[in-house]
Amino acid sequence: MAKLILTFNKQVIKEYPFAKDSITMGRQDDNAIVIDNLAVSGYHAKIDKLGGEYILTDLQSTNGTFVNDQKVVSHKLSHGDNIVIGKHVILFVATEKEKIEGEGKDKKLPLDKTMLLDTAKQRELLAKQKVAPPTARIPVKVGVISFIDDSGLGEIELLKKLTKIGKAETSEIKLSGILMGATAATISRRPSGYAISFAGGMTKLKVNGAVVKDSVPLNDFDTIELGSHKFQFYQKEVKSA
Amino acid sequence: MLIKSSGMTDVGLQRERNEDSFSVQDTVGLYMVADGMGGHLAGEVASRVAVEIINKSFGKWSEIQAPPDEIFGFPDESLSREGNYILGSIRLANRVIYEMASEYEQYNGMGTTIVSLLVGSGRIVAANVGDSRMYLVRDNRIERMSKDHTIVAEHVEMGVMTEEEAARSPLRHILTRNLGSSENVDAEVFEIEPSSEDLFIMCSDGLTDLATDEEILRIALKESDSQRLTRRLIDLALERGAPDNTTVVSVFLDQVEKRRVTSLGRLGSLVADALTGANLIKRKLGL
Repeated sequence: MAKLILTFNKQVIKEYPFAKDSITMGRQDDNAIVIDNLAVSGYHAKIDKLGGEYILTDLQSTNGTFVNDQKVVSHKLSHGDNIVIGKHVILFVATEKEKIEGEGKDKKLPLDKTMLLDTAKQRELLAKQKVAPPTARIPVKVGVISFIDDSGLGEIELLKKLTKIGKAETSEIKLSGILMGATAATISRRPSGYAISFAGGMTKLKVNGAVVKDSVPLNDFDTIELGSHKFQFYQKEVKSA
Repeated sequence: MLIKSSGMTDVGLQRERNEDSFSVQDTVGLYMVADGMGGHLAGEVASRVAVEIINKSFGKWSEIQAPPDEIFGFPDESLSREGNYILGSIRLANRVIYEMASEYEQYNGMGTTIVSLLVGSGRIVAANVGDSRMYLVRDNRIERMSKDHTIVAEHVEMGVMTEEEAARSPLRHILTRNLGSSENVDAEVFEIEPSSEDLFIMCSDGLTDLATDEEILRIALKESDSQRLTRRLIDLALERGAPDNTTVVSVFLDQVEKRRVTSLGRLGSLVADALTGANLIKRKLGL
Protein backbone atom coordinates (compact mmCIF):
# COMPACT_ATOMS: atom_id res chain seq x y z
CA MET A 1 0.00 0.00 0.00
CA ALA A 2 1.26 3.47 -0.82
CA LYS A 3 1.66 5.89 2.05
CA LEU A 4 2.05 9.57 2.80
CA ILE A 5 4.48 10.90 5.37
CA LEU A 6 3.62 14.28 6.85
CA THR A 7 6.68 16.28 7.91
CA PHE A 8 7.30 19.73 9.33
CA ASN A 9 10.79 21.24 9.56
CA LYS A 10 12.17 17.87 8.43
CA GLN A 11 10.54 16.17 11.41
CA VAL A 12 8.15 13.34 10.70
CA ILE A 13 4.80 14.11 12.29
CA LYS A 14 2.74 11.15 11.15
CA GLU A 15 2.47 8.44 8.51
CA TYR A 16 -0.76 7.83 6.63
CA PRO A 17 -1.32 4.58 4.71
CA PHE A 18 -3.32 5.15 1.52
CA ALA A 19 -6.22 2.86 2.44
CA LYS A 20 -9.08 4.52 0.57
CA ASP A 21 -9.67 5.56 -3.03
CA SER A 22 -9.50 9.21 -2.19
CA ILE A 23 -8.07 11.29 0.63
CA THR A 24 -8.19 14.99 1.33
CA MET A 25 -5.76 17.29 3.11
CA GLY A 26 -6.57 20.54 4.85
CA ARG A 27 -7.19 22.44 8.03
CA GLN A 28 -10.73 21.16 8.72
CA ASP A 29 -11.15 18.20 11.09
CA ASP A 30 -12.82 15.90 8.60
CA ASN A 31 -9.85 15.72 6.25
CA ALA A 32 -7.93 12.44 6.18
CA ILE A 33 -4.76 14.44 6.75
CA VAL A 34 -5.43 17.38 9.04
CA ILE A 35 -2.81 20.14 8.93
CA ASP A 36 -3.55 22.76 11.55
CA ASN A 37 -1.88 25.82 10.11
CA LEU A 38 -3.28 29.13 8.92
CA ALA A 39 -1.44 28.86 5.60
CA VAL A 40 -3.49 25.78 4.83
CA SER A 41 -7.01 26.02 3.37
CA GLY A 42 -9.97 24.19 4.90
CA TYR A 43 -9.87 21.62 2.12
CA HIS A 44 -6.57 22.24 0.46
CA ALA A 45 -5.84 19.33 -1.84
CA LYS A 46 -6.83 15.76 -2.49
CA ILE A 47 -5.34 12.59 -3.87
CA ASP A 48 -7.42 10.13 -5.86
CA LYS A 49 -6.37 6.59 -6.62
CA LEU A 50 -7.27 5.91 -10.22
CA GLY A 51 -6.44 2.58 -11.80
CA GLY A 52 -3.17 2.19 -9.90
CA GLU A 53 -2.17 5.83 -10.28
CA TYR A 54 -2.30 8.53 -7.63
CA ILE A 55 -3.57 11.90 -8.80
CA LEU A 56 -3.02 14.97 -6.66
CA THR A 57 -5.48 17.83 -7.22
CA ASP A 58 -5.30 21.26 -5.64
CA LEU A 59 -8.79 22.20 -4.40
CA GLN A 60 -8.42 25.84 -5.42
CA SER A 61 -6.51 26.51 -2.21
CA THR A 62 -5.55 30.04 -1.28
CA ASN A 63 -1.83 29.43 -1.10
CA GLY A 64 -1.50 26.66 -3.66
CA THR A 65 -0.09 23.16 -3.69
CA PHE A 66 3.49 22.44 -4.79
CA VAL A 67 5.20 19.25 -5.88
CA ASN A 68 9.00 19.31 -5.81
CA ASP A 69 8.86 23.14 -5.85
CA GLN A 70 6.53 23.31 -8.86
CA LYS A 71 3.07 24.76 -8.38
CA VAL A 72 0.52 22.20 -9.54
CA VAL A 73 -3.18 22.13 -10.23
CA SER A 74 -3.25 18.41 -10.81
CA HIS A 75 -0.33 16.06 -10.83
CA LYS A 76 0.32 12.33 -11.20
CA LEU A 77 2.35 11.37 -8.15
CA SER A 78 5.57 9.38 -8.47
CA HIS A 79 7.47 7.64 -5.72
CA GLY A 80 9.46 10.18 -3.71
CA ASP A 81 7.45 13.27 -4.69
CA ASN A 82 7.40 16.03 -2.09
CA ILE A 83 4.00 17.65 -1.76
CA VAL A 84 4.35 21.07 -0.18
CA ILE A 85 1.33 22.62 1.52
CA GLY A 86 2.11 25.77 3.47
CA LYS A 87 5.21 24.92 5.45
CA HIS A 88 4.38 21.23 5.66
CA VAL A 89 5.93 18.67 3.35
CA ILE A 90 4.18 15.41 2.57
CA LEU A 91 6.35 12.69 1.11
CA PHE A 92 4.65 10.25 -1.25
CA VAL A 93 5.93 6.69 -0.93
CA ALA A 94 4.74 4.11 -3.45
CA THR A 95 4.77 0.39 -2.70
CA GLU A 96 7.55 -1.77 -4.17
CA LYS A 97 5.16 -3.15 -6.77
CA GLU A 98 3.94 0.29 -7.81
CA LYS A 99 7.51 1.54 -7.97
CA ILE A 100 8.51 -1.19 -10.43
CA GLU A 101 5.39 -0.72 -12.54
CA GLY A 102 5.87 3.00 -12.50
CA GLU A 103 9.42 2.76 -13.79
CA GLY A 104 8.57 0.21 -16.47
CA LYS A 105 5.65 1.95 -18.09
CA ASP A 106 6.56 5.51 -17.34
CA LYS A 107 6.45 6.66 -20.94
CA LYS A 108 3.59 4.41 -21.98
CA LEU A 109 0.79 6.58 -20.66
CA PRO A 110 -0.65 4.42 -17.92
CA LEU A 111 -3.72 6.61 -17.95
CA ASP A 112 -4.45 5.64 -21.50
CA LYS A 113 -7.90 4.35 -20.72
CA THR A 114 -10.68 6.82 -20.24
CA MET A 115 -11.96 6.87 -16.69
CA LEU A 116 -14.14 8.95 -14.47
CA LEU A 117 -12.92 11.13 -11.66
CA ASP A 118 -14.97 10.56 -8.54
CA THR A 119 -15.60 14.08 -7.45
CA ALA A 120 -18.60 13.21 -5.32
CA LYS A 121 -16.51 13.20 -2.17
CA GLN A 122 -14.80 16.44 -3.10
CA ARG A 123 -18.09 18.16 -3.83
CA GLU A 124 -19.62 16.83 -0.62
CA LEU A 125 -16.77 18.31 1.40
CA LEU A 126 -16.94 21.62 -0.41
CA ALA A 127 -20.70 21.76 0.05
CA LYS A 128 -20.23 21.28 3.80
CA GLN A 129 -17.89 24.22 3.83
CA LYS A 130 -20.31 26.25 1.72
CA VAL A 131 -17.64 26.89 -0.86
CA ALA A 132 -18.53 26.59 -4.52
CA PRO A 133 -16.82 23.67 -6.28
CA PRO A 134 -13.88 24.66 -8.49
CA THR A 135 -15.89 24.54 -11.72
CA ALA A 136 -18.16 27.30 -10.43
CA ARG A 137 -15.18 29.64 -10.27
CA ILE A 138 -15.42 29.98 -14.02
CA PRO A 139 -17.33 33.24 -14.38
CA VAL A 140 -20.76 32.74 -15.88
CA LYS A 141 -21.49 35.35 -18.49
CA VAL A 142 -24.64 36.17 -20.36
CA GLY A 143 -24.85 38.12 -23.60
CA VAL A 144 -26.81 41.34 -23.72
CA ILE A 145 -27.85 43.48 -26.65
CA SER A 146 -28.35 47.13 -26.06
CA PHE A 147 -30.31 49.16 -28.59
CA ILE A 148 -28.70 52.41 -29.62
CA ASP A 149 -31.38 53.44 -32.09
CA ASP A 150 -34.65 55.17 -31.29
CA SER A 151 -36.65 51.94 -31.02
CA GLY A 152 -36.89 52.32 -27.25
CA LEU A 153 -36.14 48.62 -26.79
CA GLY A 154 -33.36 49.28 -24.30
CA GLU A 155 -31.36 46.26 -23.16
CA ILE A 156 -32.30 42.67 -23.78
CA GLU A 157 -30.56 39.72 -22.12
CA LEU A 158 -29.98 36.73 -24.37
CA LEU A 159 -31.49 34.04 -22.17
CA LYS A 160 -31.99 31.45 -24.90
CA LYS A 161 -29.31 29.29 -26.49
CA LEU A 162 -30.68 30.43 -29.85
CA THR A 163 -32.26 33.87 -30.06
CA LYS A 164 -34.27 34.65 -33.18
CA ILE A 165 -34.53 38.25 -34.29
CA GLY A 166 -37.13 39.28 -36.85
CA LYS A 167 -40.66 40.22 -37.65
CA ALA A 168 -42.28 36.87 -36.79
CA GLU A 169 -44.44 36.71 -33.65
CA THR A 170 -42.35 33.77 -32.44
CA SER A 171 -39.11 35.80 -32.50
CA GLU A 172 -37.41 36.31 -29.15
CA ILE A 173 -36.61 39.85 -30.27
CA LYS A 174 -39.30 41.31 -32.47
CA LEU A 175 -38.26 44.09 -34.83
CA SER A 176 -40.34 45.98 -37.34
CA GLY A 177 -39.38 47.13 -40.80
CA ILE A 178 -40.78 46.74 -44.28
CA LEU A 179 -37.99 44.49 -45.51
CA MET A 180 -37.30 42.76 -42.20
CA GLY A 181 -37.32 38.94 -42.51
CA ALA A 182 -39.64 36.79 -40.42
CA THR A 183 -36.39 35.62 -38.89
CA ALA A 184 -33.76 38.07 -40.04
CA ALA A 185 -30.87 37.01 -37.83
CA THR A 186 -30.11 34.62 -35.00
CA ILE A 187 -27.67 34.83 -32.13
CA SER A 188 -26.47 31.50 -30.80
CA ARG A 189 -24.46 30.68 -27.74
CA ARG A 190 -21.77 28.16 -28.70
CA PRO A 191 -18.92 26.45 -26.85
CA SER A 192 -16.58 29.19 -28.06
CA GLY A 193 -18.93 32.08 -27.27
CA TYR A 194 -21.70 34.00 -29.00
CA ALA A 195 -22.12 34.21 -32.76
CA ILE A 196 -24.62 36.04 -34.98
CA SER A 197 -25.96 34.58 -38.22
CA PHE A 198 -27.90 36.06 -41.08
CA ALA A 199 -31.12 34.07 -41.40
CA GLY A 200 -33.19 35.60 -44.20
CA GLY A 201 -35.28 38.45 -45.48
CA MET A 202 -34.26 41.48 -47.49
CA THR A 203 -32.77 43.46 -44.63
CA LYS A 204 -28.99 43.46 -44.52
CA LEU A 205 -27.15 42.34 -41.41
CA LYS A 206 -24.02 44.33 -40.61
CA VAL A 207 -21.52 43.82 -37.80
CA ASN A 208 -19.18 46.77 -37.24
CA GLY A 209 -20.20 48.06 -40.65
CA ALA A 210 -19.38 44.89 -42.61
CA VAL A 211 -22.20 42.92 -44.25
CA VAL A 212 -22.62 39.39 -42.82
CA LYS A 213 -24.02 36.78 -45.19
CA ASP A 214 -23.47 33.74 -42.95
CA SER A 215 -22.22 33.99 -39.39
CA VAL A 216 -19.52 35.74 -37.37
CA PRO A 217 -18.44 35.44 -33.74
CA LEU A 218 -19.55 38.33 -31.53
CA ASN A 219 -17.11 40.22 -29.36
CA ASP A 220 -17.89 42.67 -26.58
CA PHE A 221 -19.09 46.04 -27.90
CA ASP A 222 -19.57 44.93 -31.50
CA THR A 223 -22.13 47.13 -33.22
CA ILE A 224 -24.85 45.28 -35.08
CA GLU A 225 -27.11 46.83 -37.69
CA LEU A 226 -30.26 45.24 -39.01
CA GLY A 227 -31.98 47.60 -41.41
CA SER A 228 -32.67 50.77 -39.45
CA HIS A 229 -32.10 49.04 -36.12
CA LYS A 230 -28.78 49.40 -34.41
CA PHE A 231 -27.58 47.70 -31.26
CA GLN A 232 -24.45 46.79 -29.34
CA PHE A 233 -23.47 43.40 -27.99
CA TYR A 234 -21.66 42.81 -24.73
CA GLN A 235 -21.41 40.15 -22.05
CA LYS A 236 -22.04 40.68 -18.40
CA GLU A 237 -21.10 38.45 -15.52
CA VAL A 238 -23.98 36.85 -13.68
CA LYS A 239 -24.03 34.88 -10.47
CA SER A 240 -23.61 31.19 -11.17
CA ALA A 241 -26.71 29.13 -10.77
CA MET B 1 -32.98 20.51 -46.72
CA LEU B 2 -30.81 17.67 -47.96
CA ILE B 3 -28.86 15.53 -45.52
CA LYS B 4 -26.07 13.16 -46.44
CA SER B 5 -24.67 11.20 -43.56
CA SER B 6 -22.59 8.18 -42.67
CA GLY B 7 -21.12 6.52 -39.60
CA MET B 8 -18.33 4.05 -39.07
CA THR B 9 -16.52 2.49 -36.14
CA ASP B 10 -13.24 0.59 -35.89
CA VAL B 11 -11.92 -1.41 -32.95
CA GLY B 12 -8.43 -0.02 -33.63
CA LEU B 13 -5.11 -1.82 -33.55
CA GLN B 14 -4.61 -2.47 -29.84
CA ARG B 15 -7.96 -3.11 -28.19
CA GLU B 16 -9.75 -6.43 -28.32
CA ARG B 17 -13.26 -5.10 -28.02
CA ASN B 18 -15.08 -2.16 -29.46
CA GLU B 19 -16.88 -0.25 -26.71
CA ASP B 20 -18.06 2.58 -28.99
CA SER B 21 -21.58 2.77 -30.41
CA PHE B 22 -23.09 5.12 -32.96
CA SER B 23 -26.43 5.80 -34.58
CA VAL B 24 -27.40 7.47 -37.86
CA GLN B 25 -31.12 8.20 -38.33
CA ASP B 26 -31.76 10.36 -41.39
CA THR B 27 -35.56 10.16 -41.10
CA VAL B 28 -35.54 11.73 -37.61
CA GLY B 29 -32.38 13.76 -38.19
CA LEU B 30 -30.74 12.34 -35.07
CA TYR B 31 -27.07 11.28 -34.96
CA MET B 32 -25.00 9.98 -32.05
CA VAL B 33 -21.61 8.68 -30.97
CA ALA B 34 -21.07 7.05 -27.55
CA ASP B 35 -17.80 5.81 -26.06
CA GLY B 36 -18.37 3.23 -23.33
CA MET B 37 -16.15 2.41 -20.39
CA GLY B 38 -16.12 -0.36 -17.78
CA GLY B 39 -14.76 -3.89 -17.62
CA HIS B 40 -15.82 -7.05 -19.46
CA LEU B 41 -18.82 -6.29 -21.64
CA ALA B 42 -20.02 -3.34 -19.56
CA GLY B 43 -18.56 -0.58 -21.75
CA GLU B 44 -20.24 -1.97 -24.85
CA VAL B 45 -23.51 -2.32 -23.00
CA ALA B 46 -23.41 1.23 -21.63
CA SER B 47 -22.75 2.90 -24.98
CA ARG B 48 -25.38 0.81 -26.76
CA VAL B 49 -28.02 1.40 -24.08
CA ALA B 50 -27.38 5.16 -24.23
CA VAL B 51 -27.85 5.34 -27.99
CA GLU B 52 -30.97 3.12 -27.95
CA ILE B 53 -32.70 4.97 -25.14
CA ILE B 54 -32.06 8.40 -26.59
CA ASN B 55 -33.33 7.26 -29.99
CA LYS B 56 -36.46 5.77 -28.46
CA SER B 57 -37.38 8.53 -26.05
CA PHE B 58 -36.62 11.36 -28.46
CA GLY B 59 -38.67 9.57 -31.14
CA LYS B 60 -41.60 9.10 -28.82
CA TRP B 61 -41.63 12.60 -27.37
CA SER B 62 -41.39 14.30 -30.73
CA GLU B 63 -44.06 12.02 -32.20
CA ILE B 64 -46.61 12.95 -29.55
CA GLN B 65 -45.21 16.51 -29.21
CA ALA B 66 -44.89 15.99 -25.45
CA PRO B 67 -45.19 19.18 -23.41
CA PRO B 68 -41.74 20.10 -22.02
CA ASP B 69 -42.85 19.70 -18.39
CA GLU B 70 -43.84 16.09 -19.01
CA ILE B 71 -40.40 14.92 -20.08
CA PHE B 72 -37.70 13.59 -17.77
CA GLY B 73 -36.47 16.19 -15.27
CA PHE B 74 -37.06 19.92 -15.21
CA PRO B 75 -37.19 21.61 -18.62
CA ASP B 76 -34.39 24.06 -19.42
CA GLU B 77 -35.94 27.42 -20.22
CA SER B 78 -33.05 28.47 -22.42
CA LEU B 79 -33.74 25.63 -24.85
CA SER B 80 -36.33 24.99 -27.52
CA ARG B 81 -38.81 22.15 -27.20
CA GLU B 82 -36.63 19.89 -29.35
CA GLY B 83 -33.61 20.86 -27.24
CA ASN B 84 -35.50 19.81 -24.13
CA TYR B 85 -36.41 16.46 -25.70
CA ILE B 86 -32.71 15.81 -26.27
CA LEU B 87 -31.77 16.98 -22.77
CA GLY B 88 -34.49 14.79 -21.22
CA SER B 89 -33.48 11.77 -23.31
CA ILE B 90 -29.86 12.07 -22.16
CA ARG B 91 -30.97 12.35 -18.53
CA LEU B 92 -33.14 9.28 -18.96
CA ALA B 93 -30.31 7.27 -20.54
CA ASN B 94 -28.05 8.28 -17.65
CA ARG B 95 -30.58 7.11 -15.07
CA VAL B 96 -31.09 3.74 -16.79
CA ILE B 97 -27.35 3.08 -17.06
CA TYR B 98 -26.87 4.22 -13.46
CA GLU B 99 -29.61 1.85 -12.24
CA MET B 100 -28.17 -1.05 -14.27
CA ALA B 101 -24.68 -0.36 -12.93
CA SER B 102 -25.83 -0.32 -9.31
CA GLU B 103 -28.22 -3.27 -9.69
CA TYR B 104 -26.04 -5.83 -11.48
CA GLU B 105 -22.57 -6.78 -10.36
CA GLN B 106 -21.27 -7.37 -13.88
CA TYR B 107 -22.19 -3.78 -14.79
CA ASN B 108 -20.64 -2.10 -11.73
CA GLY B 109 -18.70 0.97 -12.74
CA MET B 110 -19.92 1.09 -16.32
CA GLY B 111 -20.46 4.38 -18.04
CA THR B 112 -20.37 6.08 -21.41
CA THR B 113 -19.88 9.41 -23.10
CA ILE B 114 -22.50 10.74 -25.50
CA VAL B 115 -22.50 13.32 -28.25
CA SER B 116 -25.69 13.88 -30.23
CA LEU B 117 -26.73 16.03 -33.17
CA LEU B 118 -30.32 16.82 -34.01
CA VAL B 119 -31.02 18.39 -37.37
CA GLY B 120 -34.42 19.88 -36.66
CA SER B 121 -36.63 22.23 -38.57
CA GLY B 122 -34.72 25.49 -38.70
CA ARG B 123 -32.63 24.51 -35.71
CA ILE B 124 -29.61 22.37 -34.91
CA VAL B 125 -29.32 20.93 -31.42
CA ALA B 126 -25.88 19.75 -30.28
CA ALA B 127 -25.51 17.97 -26.94
CA ASN B 128 -22.76 16.11 -25.14
CA VAL B 129 -21.54 14.56 -21.90
CA GLY B 130 -17.92 13.42 -21.60
CA ASP B 131 -15.13 13.82 -24.15
CA SER B 132 -16.66 12.65 -27.43
CA ARG B 133 -16.75 15.69 -29.67
CA MET B 134 -18.75 17.46 -32.31
CA TYR B 135 -17.22 19.80 -34.87
CA LEU B 136 -18.95 22.21 -37.21
CA VAL B 137 -17.17 22.97 -40.47
CA ARG B 138 -18.62 26.16 -41.98
CA ASP B 139 -17.02 28.79 -44.22
CA ASN B 140 -13.73 26.82 -44.33
CA ARG B 141 -13.44 27.06 -40.56
CA ILE B 142 -13.76 24.43 -37.86
CA GLU B 143 -15.51 25.06 -34.56
CA ARG B 144 -16.24 22.78 -31.63
CA MET B 145 -19.93 22.37 -30.91
CA SER B 146 -19.29 20.28 -27.80
CA LYS B 147 -17.53 20.85 -24.51
CA ASP B 148 -15.13 18.24 -23.13
CA HIS B 149 -15.92 17.18 -19.59
CA THR B 150 -12.38 16.39 -18.53
CA ILE B 151 -10.15 17.70 -15.75
CA VAL B 152 -7.84 19.28 -18.30
CA ALA B 153 -10.66 21.00 -20.21
CA GLU B 154 -11.86 22.53 -16.95
CA HIS B 155 -8.32 23.73 -16.28
CA VAL B 156 -8.16 25.27 -19.75
CA GLU B 157 -11.44 27.06 -19.12
CA MET B 158 -10.18 28.36 -15.78
CA GLY B 159 -7.13 29.65 -17.62
CA VAL B 160 -4.54 27.65 -15.66
CA MET B 161 -3.61 25.40 -18.59
CA THR B 162 -3.21 25.95 -22.34
CA GLU B 163 -4.86 23.83 -25.05
CA GLU B 164 -1.44 22.44 -25.98
CA GLU B 165 -0.65 21.44 -22.41
CA ALA B 166 -4.08 19.85 -22.14
CA ALA B 167 -3.57 17.76 -25.27
CA ARG B 168 -0.31 16.38 -23.86
CA SER B 169 -1.35 16.02 -20.22
CA PRO B 170 -1.39 12.47 -18.85
CA LEU B 171 -4.67 13.41 -17.19
CA ARG B 172 -6.46 14.15 -20.44
CA HIS B 173 -8.53 10.95 -20.31
CA ILE B 174 -10.00 11.60 -16.91
CA LEU B 175 -13.62 12.61 -17.23
CA THR B 176 -15.50 14.78 -14.77
CA ARG B 177 -18.89 13.68 -16.12
CA ASN B 178 -20.27 10.67 -17.94
CA LEU B 179 -23.53 8.76 -18.27
CA GLY B 180 -23.96 6.10 -15.60
CA SER B 181 -21.83 7.15 -12.66
CA SER B 182 -24.27 9.35 -10.80
CA GLU B 183 -28.01 9.54 -10.47
CA ASN B 184 -28.32 12.83 -12.31
CA VAL B 185 -26.24 14.40 -15.02
CA ASP B 186 -26.21 17.73 -16.82
CA ALA B 187 -25.61 17.62 -20.54
CA GLU B 188 -24.05 20.48 -22.46
CA VAL B 189 -26.64 21.60 -25.02
CA PHE B 190 -26.19 24.16 -27.80
CA GLU B 191 -28.59 25.36 -30.46
CA ILE B 192 -27.72 27.04 -33.72
CA GLU B 193 -29.38 27.96 -36.99
CA PRO B 194 -28.38 25.62 -39.84
CA SER B 195 -26.73 27.03 -42.90
CA SER B 196 -26.23 25.66 -46.39
CA GLU B 197 -23.16 23.45 -46.75
CA ASP B 198 -22.76 22.94 -43.01
CA LEU B 199 -20.77 19.86 -42.14
CA PHE B 200 -20.96 18.22 -38.71
CA ILE B 201 -18.39 15.67 -37.56
CA MET B 202 -18.89 13.65 -34.40
CA CYS B 203 -16.23 11.34 -33.06
CA SER B 204 -14.88 9.44 -30.08
CA ASP B 205 -11.51 10.31 -28.52
CA GLY B 206 -9.93 7.54 -30.61
CA LEU B 207 -9.71 10.19 -33.34
CA THR B 208 -9.20 13.41 -31.36
CA ASP B 209 -6.32 11.89 -29.39
CA LEU B 210 -4.41 11.42 -32.62
CA ALA B 211 -5.50 14.38 -34.74
CA THR B 212 -5.71 18.11 -34.10
CA ASP B 213 -8.75 20.20 -34.99
CA GLU B 214 -6.78 21.71 -37.90
CA GLU B 215 -5.87 18.28 -39.30
CA ILE B 216 -9.52 17.25 -39.19
CA LEU B 217 -10.46 20.50 -40.96
CA ARG B 218 -7.87 19.96 -43.71
CA ILE B 219 -9.28 16.51 -44.47
CA ALA B 220 -12.87 17.74 -44.24
CA LEU B 221 -12.24 20.47 -46.80
CA LYS B 222 -10.94 17.91 -49.31
CA GLU B 223 -13.89 15.53 -49.11
CA SER B 224 -17.41 16.39 -50.16
CA ASP B 225 -18.77 12.88 -49.78
CA SER B 226 -19.92 11.83 -46.32
CA GLN B 227 -18.88 8.20 -46.60
CA ARG B 228 -15.44 9.01 -48.01
CA LEU B 229 -14.82 11.61 -45.30
CA THR B 230 -15.83 9.23 -42.50
CA ARG B 231 -13.58 6.51 -43.97
CA ARG B 232 -10.69 8.96 -44.37
CA LEU B 233 -10.86 10.04 -40.71
CA ILE B 234 -10.99 6.44 -39.46
CA ASP B 235 -8.01 5.64 -41.71
CA LEU B 236 -6.09 8.55 -40.21
CA ALA B 237 -6.50 7.05 -36.73
CA LEU B 238 -5.44 3.63 -38.03
CA GLU B 239 -2.38 5.08 -39.78
CA ARG B 240 -1.35 6.57 -36.45
CA GLY B 241 -1.55 3.31 -34.54
CA ALA B 242 -5.15 3.52 -33.30
CA PRO B 243 -4.60 2.53 -29.66
CA ASP B 244 -8.29 3.11 -28.94
CA ASN B 245 -11.62 2.38 -30.60
CA THR B 246 -12.39 5.07 -33.16
CA THR B 247 -15.85 6.13 -34.29
CA VAL B 248 -16.82 8.89 -36.72
CA VAL B 249 -20.21 10.14 -37.89
CA SER B 250 -20.30 12.88 -40.51
CA VAL B 251 -23.39 14.81 -41.58
CA PHE B 252 -23.45 17.13 -44.60
CA LEU B 253 -26.31 19.59 -44.96
CA ASP B 254 -27.28 21.06 -48.27
CA GLN B 255 -29.96 23.35 -49.66
CA VAL B 256 -30.80 24.79 -46.27
CA GLU B 257 -33.47 27.34 -47.01
CA LYS B 258 -32.75 30.73 -45.58
CA ARG B 259 -36.27 31.64 -44.65
CA ARG B 260 -36.94 34.11 -47.40
CA VAL B 261 -40.56 34.93 -47.78
CA THR B 262 -42.05 33.76 -51.09
CA SER B 263 -42.62 36.53 -53.61
CA LEU B 264 -46.37 36.42 -53.06
CA GLY B 265 -45.99 36.44 -49.28
CA ARG B 266 -43.45 39.22 -49.55
CA LEU B 267 -45.84 41.29 -51.61
CA GLY B 268 -48.54 40.62 -49.06
CA SER B 269 -46.40 41.75 -46.14
CA LEU B 270 -45.17 44.76 -48.14
CA VAL B 271 -48.75 45.83 -48.69
CA ALA B 272 -49.55 45.23 -45.02
CA ASP B 273 -46.51 47.23 -43.94
CA ALA B 274 -47.39 50.00 -46.36
CA LEU B 275 -50.91 50.11 -45.00
CA THR B 276 -49.83 50.25 -41.36
CA GLY B 277 -47.23 52.81 -42.37
CA ALA B 278 -49.84 54.87 -44.11
CA ASN B 279 -52.15 54.59 -41.12
CA LEU B 280 -49.37 55.73 -38.82
CA ILE B 281 -48.63 58.73 -41.00
CA LYS B 282 -52.31 59.51 -41.21
CA ARG B 283 -52.63 59.36 -37.45
CA LYS B 284 -49.56 61.49 -36.97
CA LEU B 285 -50.90 64.09 -39.33
CA GLY B 286 -54.26 63.88 -37.59
CA LEU B 287 -56.11 62.76 -40.71
